[in-house]
Formats: sequence, C-alpha cells, structure tokens
Amino acid sequence: MTDELVLEQVNKSYGPDILMLRDVNLTLAKGTHLSVLGPSGSGKTTLLRIIAGLESIDSGKILFNGKSLLDIPPYKRSFGYMFQDFALFPHMNVFQNVAFGLKMKNMEKGEIKTQVKKMLELTGLGDYENRHVNELSGGERQRVALARTLAPRPRLLMLDEPLSSLDRALRHRLLGELTAIISTLNITTIFVTHDHEEAFAAGNIVLIMKEGKIEQKGSREDLTQRPENDWVKNFLSFG
Amino acid sequence: MMAGLVPAVFFLLFYFYPLAGIFIKSFVVEGRIDLSFLDQIFLSRRIGKIIWFTFWQAGVSTLLTLVAALPCAFVFSHYRFRGKQFVKTLASIPFVLPAVVVAAAFQACFGRTSFLGFTIDHPLALIFMAHVFYNFSVMLRIISGFWATLQGRIVEAAAMLGAGPFQVFFHVTLPLLKPAVWAACSLVFIFCFSSFGIILILGGPSYSTIEAEIYRQAAHMFNLPVASFLSLIQIFFTLLLMGIYTRFTRHATRFVPDGENHNLKRPETWWEKSMVMAVILFVFLLCVLPLLALVIKSLSHGGQLSFVFYRALFQNVSDSVFYIPPFHAIKYSLAFAGTALVIAVITGVCAALFIRYCETRFHKGWSSLFDPIFMLPLSTSAVTLGFGIIITLDKPPLNLRTSIFLIPIAHALVGFPFVVRAILPALRSIPEQMPDAAAMLGGSPLQIFRHIDLPLMSRALVAGAIFAFTISLGEFGATIFTARPETPTIPVAIYRFLGQPGAMNYGQAMAISTLLMAVTALGYVLIENFRKENSEGF
Repeated sequence: MTDELVLEQVNKSYGPDILMLRDVNLTLAKGTHLSVLGPSGSGKTTLLRIIAGLESIDSGKILFNGKSLLDIPPYKRSFGYMFQDFALFPHMNVFQNVAFGLKMKNMEKGEIKTQVKKMLELTGLGDYENRHVNELSGGERQRVALARTLAPRPRLLMLDEPLSSLDRALRHRLLGELTAIISTLNITTIFVTHDHEEAFAAGNIVLIMKEGKIEQKGSREDLTQRPENDWVKNFLSFG
Repeated sequence: MMAGLVPAVFFLLFYFYPLAGIFIKSFVVEGRIDLSFLDQIFLSRRIGKIIWFTFWQAGVSTLLTLVAALPCAFVFSHYRFRGKQFVKTLASIPFVLPAVVVAAAFQACFGRTSFLGFTIDHPLALIFMAHVFYNFSVMLRIISGFWATLQGRIVEAAAMLGAGPFQVFFHVTLPLLKPAVWAACSLVFIFCFSSFGIILILGGPSYSTIEAEIYRQAAHMFNLPVASFLSLIQIFFTLLLMGIYTRFTRHATRFVPDGENHNLKRPETWWEKSMVMAVILFVFLLCVLPLLALVIKSLSHGGQLSFVFYRALFQNVSDSVFYIPPFHAIKYSLAFAGTALVIAVITGVCAALFIRYCETRFHKGWSSLFDPIFMLPLSTSAVTLGFGIIITLDKPPLNLRTSIFLIPIAHALVGFPFVVRAILPALRSIPEQMPDAAAMLGGSPLQIFRHIDLPLMSRALVAGAIFAFTISLGEFGATIFTARPETPTIPVAIYRFLGQPGAMNYGQAMAISTLLMAVTALGYVLIENFRKENSEGF
C-alpha cells in the first residue's frame, strides 16, 4: 500500500515560547484508521488543524498523494473535518446543513437531495430533514455533524474529539455507532481523543502524543505489550 | 419584597403621572374632551413635513452610520493590532458626550472660522455628520462584537466543506450577521429619531424634528395641546421602534454561536495592513477632529493662545446672557448631578434587587414584566419627559414647580435604567445558594445585603453611579424644560451662549463645552475601568 498522507519534520509554534508541534513525522497508508491519543495540550488538535490547512506551519512538509498541501487553502483540499462542538450552521435546518458541502461543489439539486437522504439514513436521522439545528439534542447534533462531514465524500476524514461534548452514557453508545460507520467507509480517518477506550475502538493504529511530540505509534498490541518508554507505559495503564 | 416599592413609587410619580398628564393635556380642555386642535395639526402642512423629516433624517443618518461602521467592524472583528483598545475607546467617546457638546464641536470644526480651511454650513450636512459621529461606536460595537464570534469554528467548518472566502461570506457570515446589523440599525435609528440637541442647535428653525417641535411649540408658542399631541406621537413611534429593536436583538442573540475570539490575526499582507491603517485614520478623523477643533477654538483668541474665554466664565459681566456668572452653571450642574446620582442609585439598587428577587424566589414572569418597565425611560425621549414633568408637577397634588429637586429627579429618571443595567449582571453573578448559606448562618436580610450583596456588586455600583452622574451633567432635553432661569446647567448655558451673537459668547460656549467634554470623557474612562471585571451589560 502506498502512503497517502505524509508529514515530514513539521514544526509549529504560537509565539516564541509556545511550541505546539516539534519535528512531527507521520505517514499514513490509504484506508488507515488512525487514533491520536494524548493528554490535553499535547498538540493533537493542532496536528489535525495543520493537516486541514486551518493553521500554517513554521517548517516541514505535508504531502497528500505525493503533492504538497502547503499552498492549497482548506476549502480546496476536499478533506472532511468534524469539530468538537460540531459547528453546525445555526441559520440552517438539518437538510441545509448536510447539503452545504454539496452545494459548494455546485452539485445538481436532485443529486444533492439523494446524497443528503443517503447520509441521513446512514446516521439514523431519516426524518430529521426539516428540523432546526437549535432544537436538536447533543447526540442528534453529533449525527448531523457527521452526516454533513461525510456528504461531500471527503478524501480524508478528521474527527476532533467528536464525542467529548456528550454525556457518558450517550458517549458509549455513539462510539459504537460512529466506529461502525467509519469502518464501512474506505476513507483514511484521523480520530483525535483523550480517551483510551475511544482511541482503541476507533483506530486500528494509535498515535500517542505528549507536549507536541509523537511518543509512539502502533497497534493496541504494540503499545500495551511493547511501550517505548515509561511515560507511555504509565499513560496507558492509567486509562 | 419591599425594595420594589421604591422604584414603583418613583416611577408612578415621576414617569407615569407626567406621561398621563401629557395624554390628558392633549384631549381635555377645561374639564371637557376637546379635539379641535386636531384640525390644526392635520391641516397644518408644517406638522406633516416635520414628521416626514424626522423619519427621513433618521433613515439617512442610520444608513450613513452603517456605511461608515461596516468596514471598520470588519477590521475590528478580524485583526488584532497594537493600539486597538485605544482606538476602540477613542471611537466610543463621542457616544457618551452630551449632544450640546457634539453640536458645539461640529460648529467649531466646520463653522466659519474653522482651522480646516473650508467650511460646511449646510445644516443638513452638519446634522448628518454629527449623527454619524455620535452613533458610529454603537454600530461598530454591536456589529464587530457579533462578527468576531462568527470567526471561529463556523467559518472553518464552511471552509472544510469546500466554501471559498466569497461563498463563506454570502452563505454563512452574511446571513448570520444580518440580525446584528438590523439590531444596530434600529437602535441607531431610534437615537437619530429622538435626537434633540443636535437638531435644535445645528438645524436651526428650518429643520425641525418632532422632538425639536415639541420644544418650540411648548416653550416658544405656549401651544400646549399641540406640544402634548406631538409628544404622544413621539412616544408612540419610539415605543414601536423599541419593540422592533427588541425583536431584532432577540433574533440576534438566538443565533450567537458559542463564540471564542481565538482567531483574530495580525495584519500581514500589504492589503491587510493598509486596511487597518485606513480604519485607524478614519476613526481619528471622525472622532478626534471635531473634538480637537472644540479645544482649539476654546483656547484661541485673535489667533493666539489665550485663556480669556475660560476666565470670562468666572466673571460676572453685566451684559452676560445670564443673570449670574456662568460658573454658577457649573456649580448647579455638579450639585444636580450629585443629587441625581443619589436618587438614581437608591432607586436603581432597589429595582435591581427586586428584579433579582423575582427571578430567584418568585415567578420569572414578574421579572420579565418589570425589567422592560424599568427600561422605559430609555425609550422615552427626554424632551417628552421634561415636558410631562413641567405640565403635571406644577400644581397640587404634587407641586414641585419651584422645587430645586425637579431637575435632579428628571435626571435620575434618565440615568436610572443605566444604573439597573450596570448592577443587574453583578447581582446575577452571585450564586443563588450564597444568600441562603448566609441566612442559615443567622444573617438577617439586611445583614445579608450589607455583607454579601453590597460588597459583591460594589464595582458595578460605582460604574452605575458614574453613569448617572455623567448623564446628568450632559442631559439637555429634559433640563431645558425644567431648569429655571436662575439655575441653569452647563448644557443649557452652552445652548444659550451658542444662541447669542458675538465672539465672546461663542468663545465661552467653546470653553464650557470643552470642560464638559473633559469631565464626561473622564467619567467614561472610569466606568470602563470599573466594568472590566464583569464585562456583561452594556
């Protein structure tokens, strides 16, 4: 399998004192489901925002299918990004939210309708089309956000702590649904979380970050059986 | 709760009773309902023209303010740059200045002996410019504040879904911004609609609005039924406009996404930098130039630096416009403002406590009934209030015609909503269990107020008090009715000076305006300092 996404020696800082990412190297094969796990402030979200193009980098390379992404603005990358607080458009209903990305592609009306319907079915929101997003519960908003992100068929799917704003019981149930949906899609996925259970459920490969550096990357077995250092060992045993 | 009685009685006596008086004066003559004056109004082309002009000038002023504020709001909500806070404060100062000072400043800036090298003497142009100057910061604050909250994830989410900058603007930013723009426009429209001092001083007799006409009919022609009826029209329209404004704000707040302002960026490209520079330059030209002109005018006599006008304020010249030396006006103003402060703070604290009590212990419905009632003086024009007060409180059962308290009472009424608005957020931030905890420890209600509520709201209270004080210092619309000739206030003195010919009178108007401007601007800076801890409210 070829490497689809490549990050080489990526550095990012906010001002002279705040180093967010240091010398990050990462390669992802097509179809990988990667989870990024780390304590808060470890640079997980920054990593995601850099790949999305929402933040610039100080130095390094980012390639997608061998082409540099650096000069491509986020809206031309065709990546999907699901935000922690979902960022649904408050002035649109469920249908309009999900259709937004398709509309931006100038897709034809009938086609938009079928695709939105399909996405709503997939996320279990069959008859929610005309509901206003302000009337939805947390779990329903999460589904709308997922449907909206998936609708334009992104080349890469990024999820930034997609379950963290939900309560515990709901989180557990939706994690199952979310991973089931993700696993049916043949899209490279990056799932950012600070929760061990989520990380191992959502990704077949897990990346552990600490203070802007990648500590270790591997399968569940690699990480638990062969932790590269004490910090990783401790971090995983306190999940 | 007993505290509610204080503002209730205050409102009944000094707000509702005078307004009822206006109503009765309009329709009842010598104990009988008399509508004959209505012919006079409806047949009069002048009145029709005045109502039309009131709407028209308010509309044009609002539109011009929007055009000036929108680009600035864009820059303020998108970029951070050095001195931004200073520019923001500078832009807000005109709004807190008394209307008479603004009028005087525009005469100084564009009048015949302007240092600019050109003059603008068309009354309409001056009115429009003064209104833009005045309301620019309101528009800027509302729109840029709202725009900044739209910068976060919502815009990023749209970009990730493939929306380019223009698509983001037209599909996301603009639809979300619209309610805020409408809210800001309707508020500025209300301000321009009931603008009084600027119209009276800059407009002259040929450009009269409903407000100015109420004053002329009542004070110059003693045509009280017509003045009363115009007041009713004014009350009707301002309440209507206020209702529209409230609807828009409700709409706007419903759409506020969970905003965080993390995305302000530094201007980097050549284009961004020049945009920021242009905005800074514009704010300086708009907000500083007229005020600078005022100061320069007050300090120059015969082309030289001189304090002659300031000195004259303290001399008793026999041919003065006044019966008394002008500095007495300063004295009276300070005394009235101090009294108004005390009245407004006492009634305001009682009202805020009462609203809070309704919210926590009682029925929520009561607070949503009283909250807007306590805001009513904001939406009632000062001229109407002043007129109502002099036609009702001059005879039994409540005769205050010769009372020195009439002016502070009117001022306190105008300042009252500001005090309530300043205190209420602080009260609301006190956790509900805290008074309970104090009560369980044996605190009586009065002790709880003294030891819990009062210390926790002290900063807000000071801010509210300064509000009440500076509003009283600059109040013109109500004062011009209620002030007696021998007890003028500073704004009344400015108005009289400006109405008199001669360089000396004009110079003194500039000097006393400069003093008032300095005090009001200082008050504003103090309020901002005291509000820093709780940035809620207005």
